[in-house]
Amino acid sequence: MKCIVALKQIPDLQQLRIRNREPVLNDIPYTLGAIDKNALELGVQLKEELDWEVVVISAGNEELEDTIKEALAGGADNSFLLIDNQIDQMDSAEIASLLAEMIRRSEDIGLAIFGEGSGDNYTGQVGSRVAEILGWPQAGYATSVSVDGSTAKVTRALDDCIEEVELDLPAVIIVSAGLNTPRIPSVMQILKAGKLPKEIITLDDLSLVSSANQIETVSNLAPIAERKQIKIGSVDELLNCLESAGVERR
Amino acid sequence: MDFDLTKEQSLIQKTAKEYAQTALAPRFDEWEEAHNVPLEIFSELGDLGLMGLPFPEQYGGSDAGFDGYVLAVEQICMANNAVGSAIIAHNLGMAIINAFGNEEQKMKFLPPAGRGEQVLSFAFTEPGTGSDPKQITCTAKKEGDYYILNGTKRFISNAQYPGTLGIVARDVDSDELGTFIVEKFCEGYSISERWEKIALNAQGLYDIYLKDCKVSTSDVLGNIGEGFFHLEAGIGYGKMGIACSAMAVAQQAYDAALEYAQQKLHRGKPITKFQAVQLLIAEMAEKIEACRLVLYKSAMIGNNSIKNPHLFAKYAALSKNFVSQNAVDVTRLAMELVASYGLMKDYKIERLYREAIVFPQVEGVPHMQQVILANYILAGI
Repeated sequence: MKCIVALKQIPDLQQLRIRNREPVLNDIPYTLGAIDKNALELGVQLKEELDWEVVVISAGNEELEDTIKEALAGGADNSFLLIDNQIDQMDSAEIASLLAEMIRRSEDIGLAIFGEGSGDNYTGQVGSRVAEILGWPQAGYATSVSVDGSTAKVTRALDDCIEEVELDLPAVIIVSAGLNTPRIPSVMQILKAGKLPKEIITLDDLSLVSSANQIETVSNLAPIAERKQIKIGSVDELLNCLESAGVERR
Repeated sequence: MDFDLTKEQSLIQKTAKEYAQTALAPRFDEWEEAHNVPLEIFSELGDLGLMGLPFPEQYGGSDAGFDGYVLAVEQICMANNAVGSAIIAHNLGMAIINAFGNEEQKMKFLPPAGRGEQVLSFAFTEPGTGSDPKQITCTAKKEGDYYILNGTKRFISNAQYPGTLGIVARDVDSDELGTFIVEKFCEGYSISERWEKIALNAQGLYDIYLKDCKVSTSDVLGNIGEGFFHLEAGIGYGKMGIACSAMAVAQQAYDAALEYAQQKLHRGKPITKFQAVQLLIAEMAEKIEACRLVLYKSAMIGNNSIKNPHLFAKYAALSKNFVSQNAVDVTRLAMELVASYGLMKDYKIERLYREAIVFPQVEGVPHMQQVILANYILAGI
């Protein structure tokens, strides 16, 4: 049985610089988002428990083959990649249809796991869209997952309650941040990652009719951070200011 | 010319950074106070492949190259330079066995070291000599299948942990130096109270006492007569490690000073608006950039250290001296920038200044490195 983990390569946000309130993306290396790493860790834990195979799928530009080594070092067995520089201009709906088609081409799938949102745009749509396209049951906001035979039991953390649901396999699971602590890959795993099996396709191989991008980005500006310039005259005033800013006393 | 790291190099750096920042950095003060890094930390580092980075996988290493070693050790030193220093001494111990040990010795001594179950070291220095082979007084007397070692070794790292130690001693029959692999805490092995240092006390430094310490002839490294050669060949690992430690100190001092400058206001304006402060920032940045170029170029040369040991030794001396001296300069400039805060133990730069002073002093003082460098240049290397 296979566990698909869908990942998105994003610019390394720790190295991102802001100039004139816009992100400077030149020469910023790509990496995987934090929640995607939670999704991968869940897949690897299920593999260790159930002896499944973990296949990472992803669509991205020409850097993807390199970026995905991070997931392979993190415990995935192989990768199925769609590499095309047009992908960077696509919206969530288009990406979802591409990933759904890639999943359709795989056999014997138990679960397809997604992070609830990517570390860059965080639209939070792709996992649910893929489930709809495939006609598979889905569970979002997953905080714990277990598999028993042909069903998955998922605990969902909702705003006002904790919900437990059972889904027939194959199913889509969309995980929340903090679901687990992703393991740190060892140096040996890193050096072997590039030698693990991979299949690479392009947009032409999928022969999907591209729908027009329905989202227009009007602006993408960093918030302005300004000093508040509050003048205080005593410790009590300082404490009041901190409390009103939401800082809690310990 | 490509200055970008490969994906593998950047992931090795990331693994070292992630582990070090979560597991090592938060416990720096605790371990300094205890004057010890717990042994299990080295096992954790071993699980991640960080204890034997440049050595072959078949001997318990990670096959990550010398460049991988430098990138990872720099990150470990950024988080906790005491742990970094212990790893550097350990890798010097591994390097000598890897380079000069026979197959049986490599299979016996290196895998537990790569797993971090053992922490290795190397002992040359004595109370009467730092690096002059003629003054070595520690003796080895052959008796049947054993050598009997007697003498004292000074300032030895990792002497308190289980593992092996390469000891350079004088064979009394031939009057030549040999390297003897000793299991620490075997009969006849004891250590002093730890030395109190100016900084990095969690990395223990001890004197070693050898009193009729028996070493099997099968645990003699290479041949009798090669002891000083082993030191010369292996010390490049130590020097490059020290360069990593110094690099980490310089980077941290720069980061701390820059952050301070960006936050500190003078008459309502950030002090970065003043040219005097800008000059300090620029001078630190120039030195850090130059140091990292030297360090990484030397690391790439280290990848071919077996094929070209003299070139590696030349660059190890250059790198160690250049980076460690500049790290002292950078921390001094950082201290100048943060003014009185630099003197306070509540702020990081006070500690970094004490750490920076360590690195020009160890593995050979600056003038010695320059003499070595000049000799290699004059020899056409």
